[in-house]
Amino acid sequence: MTRAKLLEIFRSTASEIAEKDLSSVGEDGVIADLGIDSLELLEVIGTLERDLDVRVPDDQLVGIQTVRQLLELVETKLTPA
Amino acid sequence: MGLEHATTIVEALAALPRGEARGYTFRGVDGSERYYCFEAVEREARQRAARYANAGLNPGDRVALVVADPAEFVLSFLGAVIGGFVPVPIYPRASFKARNAYVDTVGHIARAAGARALLTMEATLAVLEPVTAAPDGPEKVLVLERFLEGEAPTFEPPEIAPDDPCFLQFTSGSTSMPKGVVVTHRNLVQNARDFLGPHGLDRRPEDVGLSWLPLYHDMGLIGFMLGTLVCDIPTYFVPTEAFARRPGMWLELISEKRATITFAPNFGYALATKRARDRDLAGLDLSCVRIAGCGAEPINPDVMRAFADRFRPAGFDPGALLPCYGMAEATLAITFTKHGGGFQTDRVDASQLRRRRATPAGPDADGTVELVSCGSPFPSTSLSIVDGQGRACGERQVGEVVVRGPGVTPGYFNNPEATEAAFRDGTLCTGDLGYVADGQLYICGRQKDLIIIRGANLHPQDIEWSVAEVPGVRRDNVVAFSSLIDGEEQLVIAAEGNSKDAPELRKSVATRVAERHSLKVAHVAVVRLGSLPKTSSGKVQRRRTRELFEDGQLEEHGE
Repeated sequence: MTRAKLLEIFRSTASEIAEKDLSSVGEDGVIADLGIDSLELLEVIGTLERDLDVRVPDDQLVGIQTVRQLLELVETKLTPA
Repeated sequence: MGLEHATTIVEALAALPRGEARGYTFRGVDGSERYYCFEAVEREARQRAARYANAGLNPGDRVALVVADPAEFVLSFLGAVIGGFVPVPIYPRASFKARNAYVDTVGHIARAAGARALLTMEATLAVLEPVTAAPDGPEKVLVLERFLEGEAPTFEPPEIAPDDPCFLQFTSGSTSMPKGVVVTHRNLVQNARDFLGPHGLDRRPEDVGLSWLPLYHDMGLIGFMLGTLVCDIPTYFVPTEAFARRPGMWLELISEKRATITFAPNFGYALATKRARDRDLAGLDLSCVRIAGCGAEPINPDVMRAFADRFRPAGFDPGALLPCYGMAEATLAITFTKHGGGFQTDRVDASQLRRRRATPAGPDADGTVELVSCGSPFPSTSLSIVDGQGRACGERQVGEVVVRGPGVTPGYFNNPEATEAAFRDGTLCTGDLGYVADGQLYICGRQKDLIIIRGANLHPQDIEWSVAEVPGVRRDNVVAFSSLIDGEEQLVIAAEGNSKDAPELRKSVATRVAERHSLKVAHVAVVRLGSLPKTSSGKVQRRRTRELFEDGQLEEHGE
């Protein structure tokens, strides 16, 4: 899956869960700026996990601040090491 | 000894039925299940008690528990209790919270508790390093994976008395000065018998509990763990994280496991309703649910109604909804509505309510508030409403809720000032504002400045300090408060600033709060310099600011 596609999936999932338009969020976007709280963000991740059939453990989310960092983390789960 | 005669959690554990039939099931984040019958829970906890003693702990020593896995948390908690050590549950996850802010919080709690040891797991050890390595950090750091290695030594647990502290519950106070409620065995056993007895949930032999509530918080820890031990209720534990990632899982598991008792704060019911799609409903059978309790934050009648309507086709009985009221300072529960009766509401005039009168209003009248009844106190407990001079208020007169009863705890650990402020001769001044009508308690505000968002207690000062660091905000001229917006308690920040900076400030303040506290700000009011109400000594007045905001009188800069 390309990064652009992954970003697209993130935007649509986050928009749906937070009930706001996040379709123009870029990879440089700071998660704290998106106006979604930590519970909503966990739900976004849970939804990505199901849609992409990956598992992103909670303790690896510590310190994730930007959309890019989050997508990079998800990406490592997509590609078998 | 029969379970009904147990006077401590340790006696209850020993008196629970033996054999495989009844116990706890822990669901993992991966969907796996671990089952421990009550006998196995006790056996495993006894071994952990021995391991703590072997690590050099003495009875009475506090042990900070930063353990995310629910099964490991429960067994380690009970092990400490059996050994006469005092567990101190601490929020185990730092995800998305600025790492430093999280570690500071853990450090403050460990210090306030005077924790001699800290137990955690490999996965969290690195994050906690600043706490464990600090010169004034806990003397012993126990890593669960190593803690459990090898045979447990033999150990003769000490005698535990009913008035001994069972654990410390840290839910209130500011981040930098957290307050730990001392909860005794007697508090727990009596409160559990109240809220699970005939005037509470009226526990039945066939009951099955199901909870995703965090175990470091009183509603999950006492409501579903310690209470179910005192009253023998098989219980299914779901990690909070699993619910957060997929809220639909809550009701699916209830349906699958045929659970009869569940609880959640208001937001849980709102989220479950919002996320349920028609095709999800088809597979659900919620006819098993006898009790769907709601507490820990203000209850929105529209949320209760929407939940009842949405899930009635799936067999949900609206009579199962059970609003209640309580707080950690009173162990857990203070008032319950009658089980099976559903929720009742009272519609009152909003402007009269601000003048501390709950005047009934018609459903179509303008400017009304609909409040959900929290029920009546247990027979063991007396509740009254008092005015500012401590005089008893009459029917439908708003005042502070004060409580006396076996659940009222001895106070805050090692903090006589805070204890004196809230506890007077065994009477707890809750700081909540409410009124009684027809024997039913209605909560309509808070005297203290506490902010409660999604069941979590927040101290405004912590948020104000973070906002004060935002460039362009006038230091010491920031107020954080909560207001009911769309029926939900939501966070509002009022800050003084220049009009030209206002649009930027609205954004940067919200970002700062999100970064530091993982909280969403419903509204940032940037107001004219000098316009926030202050005391004669120049301190901002939070309550007055909130009143101005709610009356539309804050002098906000335009868009």
